[in-house]
Amino acid sequence: MILSDLLGSDALEADGRRVGGVVDVRLEISGAPAQLLAETVVTGVLVSPRSRVSTWGYERRGENGPVVIARLQRWLHRGSFLVSWDDVELVDEGRVVFRDGYERHDPMLPPAPKT
Amino acid sequence: MKKLFAVALGILTAIGGFVDIGDLVTNAVVGSRFGLGLAWVVLVGVVGICVYAQMSGRVAAVSGRATFEIIRERLGPRAGLANLAASFLINLLTVTAEIGGVALALQLATSVDPMWWIPVAAFGVWIVIWRARFDLLENVTGLLGLTLIVFAVALFMLSPDWGSLADQALRPGPPADEPVATYWFYAIALFGAAMTPYEVFFFSSGAIEEKWTEKDLAKSRLNVLVGFPLGGLLSIAIAGCAAVVLLPASIDVTSLSQVVLPVAEAGGKVALSFAIVGILAATFGAALETTLSSGYTLAQYFGWSWGKFRRPARAARFHLAMIVCILVAVAILATGVDPILVTEYSVVFSAVALPLTYLPILIIANDREYMGDKVNGRGMNLVGTIYLVIILVAATAAIPLLIVTGAGA
Repeated sequence: MILSDLLGSDALEADGRRVGGVVDVRLEISGAPAQLLAETVVTGVLVSPRSRVSTWGYERRGENGPVVIARLQRWLHRGSFLVSWDDVELVDEGRVVFRDGYERHDPMLPPAPKT
Repeated sequence: MKKLFAVALGILTAIGGFVDIGDLVTNAVVGSRFGLGLAWVVLVGVVGICVYAQMSGRVAAVSGRATFEIIRERLGPRAGLANLAASFLINLLTVTAEIGGVALALQLATSVDPMWWIPVAAFGVWIVIWRARFDLLENVTGLLGLTLIVFAVALFMLSPDWGSLADQALRPGPPADEPVATYWFYAIALFGAAMTPYEVFFFSSGAIEEKWTEKDLAKSRLNVLVGFPLGGLLSIAIAGCAAVVLLPASIDVTSLSQVVLPVAEAGGKVALSFAIVGILAATFGAALETTLSSGYTLAQYFGWSWGKFRRPARAARFHLAMIVCILVAVAILATGVDPILVTEYSVVFSAVALPLTYLPILIIANDREYMGDKVNGRGMNLVGTIYLVIILVAATAAIPLLIVTGAGA
């Protein structure tokens, strides 16, 4: 599977109701060791109800600068949520279906470690 | 002493490196038609390039990553690809204009048809990129480019009516015989020439090439904040020369020989030879920078190993991409298209692509994950956002104005 199979797909609930579009995918580098990096594993999909535009990374850490762009992004992607990969029932061409009783998570990541 | 020398060298190369074929041609054209009535645009453009070049240098030095690597990472592959396509194509157009400019400068020096000089110029660009050290190629062309100061000297030797020049500069607006749309079209072209996107890619990748750390930031800020404004003054001097000599005689600038005409009139052959060396150095230096920028953007987006600090065999795709770009530029020039025309289009399209380059830099300079506590302050964000609005307005107006004015005819 490649990333573009998922990005831009319709996100549907088990009863077929559309809840938004897949705008991003959460990955974890924890698969089998490969040549450069370990293989990546999909851990979740980010669903935005109203926009298919890229989030430009604003959903992850609560970055709020520059104010104008951050506001615009937050408004475009209001109500977006993260669904864990375990809650994905079916992946088909152009659509991703979640299982009954799936959970909506906050897309925010834990704060960045101080460097 | 050594430190002082390094700072001086940086500032001098920034002055010489600021001017390229776009600045030369656009400033001369504008000067010959509007006098100094558009000098304010150079001022606005110089402040903008200072703000964003400094910002992209800081991002590179703090995060250790070049602009396009981060664009792809933070904005995602699709937004990154759209960005790459636009920036790369416009950069390719600029490469073509600069190589054409080198050929035209060689024609000025030798009277041999530029068509014969195009392959020579292209080979020269390639061999220098392949062989020369990064700091060497940057410093030599930058320092030789300083001979363009002859334009400022010529302006004084022409002993113009300073009062009327100041009057043109201080009371901007289209002259009675030019339509308003044409005035704004050239304003955008001049803005695009001053803020050309490649300078930012080159600046941030150059920071990686020279292994900048946070300690080098003060030096780089000084280079930018002193060097670029002085380079901007050179641009205004070019426009001023055209305003004094070409405007009253209603001579249109259609080739480099008209750009240097005021210099020849003021200082004779000696001044002219300085101008030719300066133009040659400026266009050749910019040809190197734009060619490298096309390699940088492609390699950084696709994750190839890149950089002059690696031997060519260790960055094979990076070097191959640049060779292909040079060949494409030669192919475009071989059709016989006028390099001056290519330049005029390249600065306008640069203006169109500006938001794509500057928006991501502004976003990333605010990202604590990359920048830690070195993120933009409030003042910097305010200036950055104001410029983003200016850039957006210029970018949206560019194409309609291009069509309405028939490319400024």
